Amino acid sequence: MLLTPKIAHKLAETLLPAEVMEWAGELKIRDNGHGFDDFGLHPSFAAFGLGLCWKLHKDYFRVRSYGVENIPIDSGAVMAANHSGTIPTDAAMLWADVLLKTRRIPRPIADHFVPSLPWIGVLFARSGLVGGSRGNARALLSSNELVMIFPEGVGGIGKNASLAYQLQKWHLGHAELAIRHGVPVIPTAIIGAEEQMPQIGQINSLGKLIGLPYLPIPLTPLPLPVRYHIHYGEPIPVHQDYKPKDADNPKVVREAAGKVKSAVEALIEQGLATRGNIFE
Amino acid sequence: MTKKLKKGTPRRVLVTGATTPIGERLCRALLEDDRIEHVLAIGPKKGADSMPFGQNDKLTYKQFDLSRNRHVRQMLFGIAKDLKIDVIMHLSMHRSMTAKGARVHALNVDSLRSIIELSGRHPTIKRLIFKSDVAVYQVQRDLPVLITESHPLNMGGGAPQWVRDRVEADVLACTHMGLSPLEITVLRTAEVLAPGTGSQLFDFLSSPVCFKPLGYDPMLNLLSLNDVVRALSMACFAKQSTTIVNIPGADTMPLSSCIERWGRISIPLPGLALTPVYKARQRLRGTEFSYGANRRRFHYAAVLDGSRAEDQFSYKPEHPIHWPSSLS
Repeated sequence: MLLTPKIAHKLAETLLPAEVMEWAGELKIRDNGHGFDDFGLHPSFAAFGLGLCWKLHKDYFRVRSYGVENIPIDSGAVMAANHSGTIPTDAAMLWADVLLKTRRIPRPIADHFVPSLPWIGVLFARSGLVGGSRGNARALLSSNELVMIFPEGVGGIGKNASLAYQLQKWHLGHAELAIRHGVPVIPTAIIGAEEQMPQIGQINSLGKLIGLPYLPIPLTPLPLPVRYHIHYGEPIPVHQDYKPKDADNPKVVREAAGKVKSAVEALIEQGLATRGNIFE
Repeated sequence: MTKKLKKGTPRRVLVTGATTPIGERLCRALLEDDRIEHVLAIGPKKGADSMPFGQNDKLTYKQFDLSRNRHVRQMLFGIAKDLKIDVIMHLSMHRSMTAKGARVHALNVDSLRSIIELSGRHPTIKRLIFKSDVAVYQVQRDLPVLITESHPLNMGGGAPQWVRDRVEADVLACTHMGLSPLEITVLRTAEVLAPGTGSQLFDFLSSPVCFKPLGYDPMLNLLSLNDVVRALSMACFAKQSTTIVNIPGADTMPLSSCIERWGRISIPLPGLALTPVYKARQRLRGTEFSYGANRRRFHYAAVLDGSRAEDQFSYKPEHPIHWPSSLS
């Protein structure tokens, strides 16, 4: 890859202010001896990724976050958030916000097609993203990582503008993982992304040609400069409410996922009630 | 009834593939181990001088062609019985990716079948340690990066014989676990980056310029000769014996770093161009690397999870690869 860790570090230095680079240049990872972890994460690339998100986070989407104290500093947890916005800037902003506030690299779990995309897949993997398989999530949670999951998946990001803030099919994997690995779930609501790029249609055949589930037809060519409000809810202690063996019980998993979904819905409601217009 | 090796008793070991770089090092390590009483080294070459370390009272070298069932029988019920061998370490596997046909299959798969069947009724042999390979695992985008022992195997019919034989041999050993009276240990080792080991990556890195797929840079895990020998020796004395264990190496890095550390120039090319480029290289220079056989692992990360090896054998990779760029 032409973008080496050294070049990524240099680029991060040019993109990030000195006070951020001071700590972002020394992020801690489970280094396997050559600067990378098993999944390909490298601290210099994470700093570069943060550099790419920096202006968007600070000046374009002007992200405000609430309840940061609910994110564990060093123990494992699953963050479950709503997903929307036609392009995944909500995931990027959430990743950057957690990193900026906690100095901890969250590990987003993405659909299988994301890590297999050329260049993008590599850059994302170097910044902490992993493909959505149980084995990957298990390995991360066993190492006390902070795993970021969007239980709506592609259904959330691909929804039409008329469905804004309505949670789509809520997959259960996040609850099962949290129960099995004895970690809490941090419900998270992202307000703003749902209006950034209203989607009016999709072309499935064209998308499949380039390795995507569909090609979106957005109303605007670029995301609107809406303000993001990220609400981190109180941890849901599924690790205390259930035993790891309960992860094999579909009824229990459904119940736990239902609790998470309700908590995210409540945070969305609260977030919508407290903000002004979409740009404030 | 299952045969069991007594804990703490000295071992008398038969090593197949003893003239390969791994086999030679393993024999050397076993000869230095006080807990080993005798080593019976088996190879295809004639004469006692096939082993580079000459005379040793603890070592017996014999030539056998394991692709012939009769030779396997003679080996086990002849010299192995006389020497009261109790552990077989089966390393013998055809290393060439281009080698095909019934004789190759006989060495890769049928020899193992014969060893398992005959050892089951052998008076002294109690344990079989089979060195399998990371190549048996399926690599694809929707499978975990970190490969545990329950990861799907590469059962694709389109895979070359080099891969198919390894999968068949691995499955053969696994299906006899619990059914054969033998204690069977399958070690699925990461790729050993060394000459003469059949390493596809070693062959790939032998050119001054390495072409890799444009836009991809997967994570690889590589094993050193020292660590593979350690793991095999540990399996000889492990308490937990009927098991499948991944043996990862100490080096986990992206393909690009691997090329760089080997002191080679990396040129990315579109995936479609790589197959003809490496086919032409194979034909013109007689090299072994096949892009078709490695296409998936040159796109998607695959790293062996060594948790079970640590739990059952207390094995942790300790010896990184001697990278040419770090030696210079």
